[in-house]
Amino acid sequence: MGKTMAEKILSRKCGRDVEPGELVVCEVDMTFAHDGTMPLAIQQMKNELGTTKVFDSCKVAGFCDHASPSPSSHISNVHTMMREFARENCIDFYENGDGICHQIVLERYAAPYKVIVGADSHTCTHGAVGAFATGMGSTDVGAIMVYGKTWFKVPESMKIEVDGELGEWVTSKDLFLSVVGDIKADGATYMSMEFVGKCIDDMEVEQRATLTNMAIEAGAKLGLCKADDKVKEFLREYGRGDEFEELYPDDDAEYLSEIFIDAQDIEPMIAYPHRVDNVAPAYEFKGMHIDQVCIGSCTNGRLSDLEIAAQILDGEEVCKDTRLVVYPASRSVFIKAVERGIIEKLLEAGAAVCAPGCGFCIGRTVALGDGEKALSTQNRNFKGRMGNENAEIYLSSVPTAAASALYGEIVDPREVL
Amino acid sequence: MIIRGKVLRVLPDDTNTDEIISGKYKYDVLDIGKLAVHTFEAIDPSFYKDAKKNPGSILVAGKNFGCGSSREQAPRVLRECDISCIVAESFARIFYRNSFNVGLPIVECKGILAHVDKEDELEIDLDGGKIRNITKGYELSFKPIPDFMQNLLQAGGIMSYLRKSGGYE
Ligand code: SF4
Repeated sequence: MGKTMAEKILSRKCGRDVEPGELVVCEVDMTFAHDGTMPLAIQQMKNELGTTKVFDSCKVAGFCDHASPSPSSHISNVHTMMREFARENCIDFYENGDGICHQIVLERYAAPYKVIVGADSHTCTHGAVGAFATGMGSTDVGAIMVYGKTWFKVPESMKIEVDGELGEWVTSKDLFLSVVGDIKADGATYMSMEFVGKCIDDMEVEQRATLTNMAIEAGAKLGLCKADDKVKEFLREYGRGDEFEELYPDDDAEYLSEIFIDAQDIEPMIAYPHRVDNVAPAYEFKGMHIDQVCIGSCTNGRLSDLEIAAQILDGEEVCKDTRLVVYPASRSVFIKAVERGIIEKLLEAGAAVCAPGCGFCIGRTVALGDGEKALSTQNRNFKGRMGNENAEIYLSSVPTAAASALYGEIVDPREVL
Repeated sequence: MIIRGKVLRVLPDDTNTDEIISGKYKYDVLDIGKLAVHTFEAIDPSFYKDAKKNPGSILVAGKNFGCGSSREQAPRVLRECDISCIVAESFARIFYRNSFNVGLPIVECKGILAHVDKEDELEIDLDGGKIRNITKGYELSFKPIPDFMQNLLQAGGIMSYLRKSGGYE
């Protein structure tokens, strides 16, 4: 019987053929946590296992990204505790302003066939380069940091085959929002969402990472795309060409469910409060005032995202009644965006461009006011997520967000650009 | 293991971890006792007090309970509120895993919502895969929990399990 991509990776790791539903114990190639989850992981290691020593300092990393640069003395103390742990263990440690864990893991660690576990739900992002990557809690990650292993239930797989081409100003974000609108927030629970088809083949890794990043929003354990020439090119660009290896699903792989989509049918979409699976086409929100537009996050804060935003905002000005906040996803994204003149265009259009990190996404360094509405390129719009329970969060692609910033209201980018 | 208790709340589909415990607290408090005071604060301000008044209560929920972030503070605060078990139509994956890791029993039982109201008294047999609604005299069954995960619960969570067994096999 053929195998899905998730089954192939776990079978190789276990040294035998594994079947969906089986519980397996296997080695983890890379594990990480951030300032929201690492303190608890360290505390668990210390109190429960009586150690703060990691199993392999090359396979563990820590990130100050969720509340970065630190907005309070309390969080600064949390960062200090993490720094000490990192120093003691000689692990890679990413400082305030280095960027979001998932962007950095994608740039520096993720590769085909690697098993990656992060103490963050969006760890599924790394399936964009063919890694078996999934999020777990702090205790799980604390245990992995000590033992270098964990247990998995081999997931069933869902195939999402997308053929054809996306229309102008339509992106992989719109594609995912349409999918989650159809299958709902629990539509892929426990599963590996495997994205295939010509439309996915044509996408760069950065756009694929938006899909795999959001797999968790449909309840999936992981999201996976093929490791093909685009992945090879991406790894080479980050100096890791030697880590490339092809990964494809078998033609006769078995899926629990299959979805077929014609990319031409996808329109610019909005997820409206307070659920990611509340979706409707952007034109249905035409004229709705937006107080703040946010571009960034581990979903849509990469170079190509900032580039498209700059292209739309070039020579224009953000609407007076609307604020535009931009957080590049990592230091390397930020540097390249400066070099290419992208940041200058965004600044001239009126954006507040901030140090790489999670920033607005959880309202730690930028929060919304009472009754305000935000349009954001992030992945979640739960009540209170951007630091205020009395605010509303709408989610969209970068083109929709950038075009809406110009008008101060939600627009369908196809109608105005 | 048999768990017996009253249903404290019946919660809707897709109750997320931000609702269980707001992300805004997780950086500020490592002390679960202090954090637990804010459980369900935004949507159900009296939750903590009610739970503490009725230790050993059971929560019943709809589909996809615990979706959203990986914060394991969510099952931890619920355990800290003295919740003895959560029975839901289904759970989000990370929450499911985290609950066993922190030693909070949870049960996936299709059809539970239709047969339970607030204040009903339930008896849950984890090994036998049975839920008896004592108040209504109704019985439902569920797929028994895999041995490995029962072992986690018995040990009191993944850490004590690993400590006792010295790692994975
Ligand atoms: S950008 Fe948002 S979703 Fe991504 S890791 Fe940071 S807080 Fe989480």
